[in-house]
Amino acid sequence: MSTAVWQRLSPRMLLVHPVHELLRELPFLIGAIVLGTTTGNQMWTVAVVAYTVVIGVARWVTTSYRIDAGQLQLRTGLLQRKVLSLPLNRIRSVSSDARLLHRVMGLAVVRVSTGQEAKGETGSGVFELNAVEVGQVPRLKAILLADSAEPDETTTPQPDDVLARWQPAWLRYSPLSVSGLLSLVAAAGVVYESGFVGPLQHSRIIESVIDEAQVLGTTSTVAVIGVVILVASVLLAVLRSLLTWGNLVLLRQGDVLHLRHGLLRLRERSYDMSRLRGGTLRQPLLVRIFGGARLDAVMTGVHGAGEASVLLPPCPTSTAEAVLTELVGDREVVTGPLRGHGRRAATRRWTRALSLPALAGLGLVLAPVVDGKAAVPVWVWPAWIAVTAWCALLAVDRIGALGHRVHDGWLVMRSGSVERRRDCLATAGIISWTVRQTPFQRRAKVATLVAATAAGVKRYPLIDVPDDLVWSIAAESSSWVADSIWATRSAH
Amino acid sequence: MALSEGVEMVDPAHPPSRRAPLRWAVGGVIPWLLLAVGQVVWLGFDKRMPWLHILIGVATVLGVVVSTAVVPLWRYRVHRWELGPQAVFTRTGWLVQERRIAPISRVQTVDTYRGPVDRLFGLANVTVTTASSAGAVHIVALDVDVADHLVAQLIDIAAIGAEDAT
Repeated sequence: MSTAVWQRLSPRMLLVHPVHELLRELPFLIGAIVLGTTTGNQMWTVAVVAYTVVIGVARWVTTSYRIDAGQLQLRTGLLQRKVLSLPLNRIRSVSSDARLLHRVMGLAVVRVSTGQEAKGETGSGVFELNAVEVGQVPRLKAILLADSAEPDETTTPQPDDVLARWQPAWLRYSPLSVSGLLSLVAAAGVVYESGFVGPLQHSRIIESVIDEAQVLGTTSTVAVIGVVILVASVLLAVLRSLLTWGNLVLLRQGDVLHLRHGLLRLRERSYDMSRLRGGTLRQPLLVRIFGGARLDAVMTGVHGAGEASVLLPPCPTSTAEAVLTELVGDREVVTGPLRGHGRRAATRRWTRALSLPALAGLGLVLAPVVDGKAAVPVWVWPAWIAVTAWCALLAVDRIGALGHRVHDGWLVMRSGSVERRRDCLATAGIISWTVRQTPFQRRAKVATLVAATAAGVKRYPLIDVPDDLVWSIAAESSSWVADSIWATRSAH
Repeated sequence: MALSEGVEMVDPAHPPSRRAPLRWAVGGVIPWLLLAVGQVVWLGFDKRMPWLHILIGVATVLGVVVSTAVVPLWRYRVHRWELGPQAVFTRTGWLVQERRIAPISRVQTVDTYRGPVDRLFGLANVTVTTASSAGAVHIVALDVDVADHLVAQLIDIAAIGAEDAT
């Protein structure tokens, strides 16, 4: 398909673009409708609709692309003509994304990523073809990825090896994060912006609710509002998880890892397995209590944090561990025991966790003396005890979590309580080692070992390693450290 | 691989230039002097709250003293660098200290940077970047000829290997 002719995107976009534009400008449109009804002049609504339709058509007419001489070019813009060029060998991943209307029309948006948030080269940072016909997507992907991977064996279709499939039981982990609350806040923001709040304030429903609230009294009203917000955010979180991750399939086809997910908006990402340098199992506190975990890929050329590297959303721990074992190839790395960091690291965890409650307690004891008033309110001391107990539990959990292991070409690091993570890194992918010490760490004879990689979040710290062990870990992982002129073995 | 328990690393051998403490003192005191100038202007306009002026004045004097007398000498005692046949090893920092080792086979670019204060003292800073954004090695406050020699050596060794640096 290497043509030198500029190709337009699918003409079915003439229908899709205007609808998506209208949806995007929905608050503005609602405001126009409200304005139209109040001024009695419907021309506003018609004008806005006509404007969005014209913009949508213009976008289709002025966008074209071609693949030519080892680069992908995209020409866009109505007033300002822009030509974006992307050399094919800079392409790290190709993903496709199809919203509901796209799927109905048989289209998909193809997004090409170079693995950097590059503002300079492609201008906008994201190179997207919105949209091409679904049938063309596999061929486009093959051509776009061909120069970045080894020459592929397209003749024999590889067998699909399904690693994980979405289960409805995964939904029980979705309310355990703040996404529901954030969706609620976002929805409230949109409603406020569209100008609905004004006419709504004087409606009868709100006035009857206010009357009810005055009957109930303030504390019960606050409690009722709290419960309503909680229920609403849980429902929104579950709905959002269902829509984003429903129908998830993670499968391996030869050398390529495919991730497909989404109920209404279908997204598909393909990863080159040769770029995989490990994986991270992340377990936020609440998710861990209910036996769940999430899996992120440590991959070169893919932005390490955020949705770009998510392989599995919160799902049962056994599923996440099984998938990681498949990818890593060694069960000991994923579930094996780790080596703790000893007494000095444990002491540091205790002092760091309890320092704030200790200061607060001191403040509470001194406050009546300094202030001269009577003692602090009765409820403060039980609350302080509860907070201190919570901090102590956090310290114990963190001590239990902190550990590392070097096993057969893999470095495993685990830390954290509220945000527990287990990073499994291929030692071949570790580029440089840094040993970092604050003054307190120097005194406690511990150090932080940072492994720098070109994959994932690029920087993987291992906190509070005893300083007689720290270079041994680096030497065991990377032979060039052990062979360097500065490495000496002390007689033990 | 043999048992690697108890591996210790000897510190790298070379200190930065002998003019480095003076350069760090000059570079560190400039922001504090600007702050002091700002304070004098403020004092000219607004003479209320003398205790606040005194407090910030004392803090500025302290900052000047620390950044000219304490930090440069401490830093000069800590900073070391060395180029081995396969790797480059540096020690940097003053309060928070770091030791960083990077293999030359993974080096991507070697950059030299000379700011205005560096040019005043005839110094240069060399940065060796790798494929990891967290893995760049910084060697600061070298004499210009030492820096040029180091860059030439690095490029020589790095050009011999031909592997992909990720």
